[in-house]
Amino acid sequence: MKLSIYRYDPETGDPPRMQAYDVQPEAGDKKLLDLLMRLRVQDDSLSFRRSCREGVCGSDAMNINGRNGLACLTALDGLKEPIVLRPLPGFPVIRDLIVDMTQFFAHYHSIQPWLINDQPLPERERLQSPTERERLDGLYECILCACCSAFCPSYWWNPDKFIGPSGLLQAYRFIADSRDTATAERLDFLDDVYRLYRCRTIMNCTEVCPKGLSPSHAIERIRLALLRRSS
Amino acid sequence: MRLFDGQRAWVVQRISALLLLVLIVFGVLALPFASPLDFSGWRAFAGGVLGGPLIALLFGALCAHAWVGMRDIVLDYIQPRGLRLAVLSLIAVVLLGVLVRVLLSLATVGLAA
Amino acid sequence: MDRPPPRLPVFLNLAAIRFPIGAIASIAHRVAGVLLFIALPIVALLLDASLRSEAGFAAVRDLLSSPFRVVTAALLSWALVHHVLAGVRHLLMDVGVGSELARARTSARLVLVAAPALALLLLVWGLT
Ligand code: HEM
Ligand code: SF4
Ligand code: SF4
Ligand code: FES
Repeated sequence: MKLSIYRYDPETGDPPRMQAYDVQPEAGDKKLLDLLMRLRVQDDSLSFRRSCREGVCGSDAMNINGRNGLACLTALDGLKEPIVLRPLPGFPVIRDLIVDMTQFFAHYHSIQPWLINDQPLPERERLQSPTERERLDGLYECILCACCSAFCPSYWWNPDKFIGPSGLLQAYRFIADSRDTATAERLDFLDDVYRLYRCRTIMNCTEVCPKGLSPSHAIERIRLALLRRSS
Repeated sequence: MRLFDGQRAWVVQRISALLLLVLIVFGVLALPFASPLDFSGWRAFAGGVLGGPLIALLFGALCAHAWVGMRDIVLDYIQPRGLRLAVLSLIAVVLLGVLVRVLLSLATVGLAA
Repeated sequence: MDRPPPRLPVFLNLAAIRFPIGAIASIAHRVAGVLLFIALPIVALLLDASLRSEAGFAAVRDLLSSPFRVVTAALLSWALVHHVLAGVRHLLMDVGVGSELARARTSARLVLVAAPALALLLLVWGLT
């Protein structure tokens, strides 16, 4: 199969270029990541991240034929050739397909991604009813792969100030949690032209989430929660 | 830059959009009933107790709506502080100009009527 | 607010990115909004002229008198219709109506197709 891959070497500092490859997939190669692993044998200078190879660690996010996705979950069948691979759009490129996720994780940390509860600790765990637990479905599954944020135009223009779909989905995950008592503070933090209100409901985020989650829906819920609070 | 809070601007844009929607859709639908419209009829409408406030409301909502919308576009695409301020000021001047022009026109026909 | 010049390269070649239908409807909504904003001062002046004198009123009524003006009017009617339809789509999605991906895609397609059609209708009506 033919591929065209974005190459950048920080040591030479030469501008990034596209390099053509041709590899033969072997029996059992089902996903794009399988092919990339074969390519690595052919050219060991080619750099990309990967770990779990089954859509759990979130490390092999990249731009595949113009759309963000995980190489390990992208079927080779149906990919148009040459398969064009580039790093996540809008993220600083460290080398080849490896991007700098510092800012992305800084946004994640800014929303305080942990349970805050000022009530005295119960003797056993804090219980949730099945309904309360269900509210976290579609939120807790996020693997922080950044496919969504790196496909969001609003995040491209203001990556330093807009939290982005991934961080906002995570923010809603804690707002929606019945055991969290910091909802008001969380909403205060989000009520900002940049942090939340850069989102224009383009839904590029939901289009590309490899886990089938909907950050745009979480954002819609945050806006409505803010609205409910102030009325 | 806190010319508008996050939520307040968002709400202003939605409410003005709803107002515009109603006014524009009804305006377009009313056109066939109003025509053939002549100069004196049009002046009487714009200077009247119904038409004047409606047109003023239309342009008021329009300017509020366009301000939030254009501000959002500037916040997205124009990052350098100085240029941003210049473009935002230009937009504000244009919108205020439109509002003043329309109110003056309405006042003139209103007084003449 | 000023960002330091990036030392590392960034891939952001919009021509190499495949935009979903919702993104196309959205950028068109934005372009339409800007066109309407640009038209706003002209509309205010036309309103003034139409109220000022009999001749001004006639001039505004017979506005579509040259091919250039007809093309401008066509563009602006598209902008208005697309912006309003996409705006209604947004308002509905804001309160959770049709904000699920499959339906959002359908409505985006619908808006993109319906806007030029309705705009043409509006223009033909304006010309006759
Ligand atoms: C006719 C004059 C109008 C002008 C000059 C205008 C202008 C704008 C502009 C510049 C934007 C910003 C676009 C963006 O952020 O991408 C916008 C957004 C918006 N407009 Fe209008 N608009 C007009 C009429 C309307 C009408 C009649 C509606 C009714 C449905 C409407 C609904 C909206 C909505 C819902 C948004 C927000 C979309 C978002 O958050 O991305 N607009 N408008
Ligand atoms: S929401 Fe989806 S695309 Fe975004 S970071 Fe989480 S798993 Fe990845
Ligand atoms: S819906 Fe909002 S967060 Fe998602 S891609 Fe669009 S602008 Fe970005
Ligand atoms: S390698 Fe872990 S998500 Fe793809």
